[in-house]
Amino acid sequence: MLELHRVARLYGHKVVFRDVSCTCAAGSITLLAGNNGAGKSALLRIMAGLSRPSSGTAHFTMPAPRVGYLAHATFVYPALTALENLTFWREAYGLDIAPADLLAGLERVGLAAHAHEHAGVFSRGMAQRLNLARVLMLEPDILLLDEPGAGLDADSLALLHQEILSARKRGACVTLVSHDLVNDVPLADRVLLLKAGKLAFNGPVTHFRELAGGTEQACCA
Amino acid sequence: MLRLTLAVARKDLSLTLWRGNGLMQALLLGLLIFFVFSLSQEVGENLSPQSAAAVFWLSSTFCQVLIFNQLYALEEVNNSRLGLLLSPAPIPAVWLGKAIAGFILLLFAQLLFLPAAVVFLGQSLHGPLPPAVAILLLADTGMCALGSLLGALAQGQAARESLLSIVLFPLLTPLLLAGIGVGAQIFGNPSPNGPGAWMGIACAFDAIFLATGLLLFSFIYAGEE
Repeated sequence: MLELHRVARLYGHKVVFRDVSCTCAAGSITLLAGNNGAGKSALLRIMAGLSRPSSGTAHFTMPAPRVGYLAHATFVYPALTALENLTFWREAYGLDIAPADLLAGLERVGLAAHAHEHAGVFSRGMAQRLNLARVLMLEPDILLLDEPGAGLDADSLALLHQEILSARKRGACVTLVSHDLVNDVPLADRVLLLKAGKLAFNGPVTHFRELAGGTEQACCA
Repeated sequence: MLRLTLAVARKDLSLTLWRGNGLMQALLLGLLIFFVFSLSQEVGENLSPQSAAAVFWLSSTFCQVLIFNQLYALEEVNNSRLGLLLSPAPIPAVWLGKAIAGFILLLFAQLLFLPAAVVFLGQSLHGPLPPAVAILLLADTGMCALGSLLGALAQGQAARESLLSIVLFPLLTPLLLAGIGVGAQIFGNPSPNGPGAWMGIACAFDAIFLATGLLLFSFIYAGEE
């Protein structure tokens, strides 16, 4: 569904990573791991089509896939209500969704009671839930998540994990950037590990665990 | 494309007019310029029609800079720009949506600037109204097409107000000259050539700025991402 072939990213003369080749299949969750500065977010932006690789190619194998992208930034307009935010993104993405379904989307992420409140008064967790509602509204074929759990409480994290698993079940290709390997490796089918500017590991999660001697955090070290 | 354009324009107008993201700063700056120029006259003295038209368009230009900074700042708060870039619609739809919102806000501001020219600068309307309305719409179209493009260029820059002014003002000169030329005729300084030639210039530069915006916006808005 998503193929990268010998992708490299340079900032000026600095090579962030090079020779990254991988495939993300439909109905699978790929965990993208690596230390700070390894280029995980840069690689995810290339996957989303938000950034061009310095060399190599990244392309979708299906025509016009719906891409959902969830990152640290919540894409929320603080002066609009939660419902108005969703209504705006529905129009921006050209979706035909009835207002009642937008409310159902807010219900799904636990924000139905706050539908008419300005998003500016939301906590970080609530804003990220609204962001999640925006992404879920798309029913994305490709779901790209850049440390989506950062700053979320236990309930929000549980909701996020549940929605990630639902997306896989629906047949979406999910790629997840995470530092929280203990919680996120069990979700994944495959692991991509960026280390020292290269793809140090690309394989099933079971091999990743074997390499790490059963402790996920040891892999990045 | 039209759906994204209308969504952006509607959202920007809603946030600017009703949600406290404010047109007030732009309006006050424009009115302040009228007030300061009114102080340059002796009691009972009036500014020449040419000068009054120049002050009108100067106020409009500064107002426009603040409007487009404000409109593009809306996407900077939570990096919503990335969300717009992920839309399946063509990215120039965002440029067009912002330009439409800016056009409406600028017209709204100019509705206040016109009486300000009468009150502060002692002007009265002499010429026929259709050419005045036509040049207002033509000059505003070009100003907003270019303002929307360069507003995207200035987004995220620490010195965006000065950057936008420095880049925008020289490019807007032909439109401003057309606006001032026709404005002076409306304020009572008739020209033997009439407003036709100025309107032709304004139409030509509108076409250039619209085409430039349509062609270049995607590259500028995507930026480093």
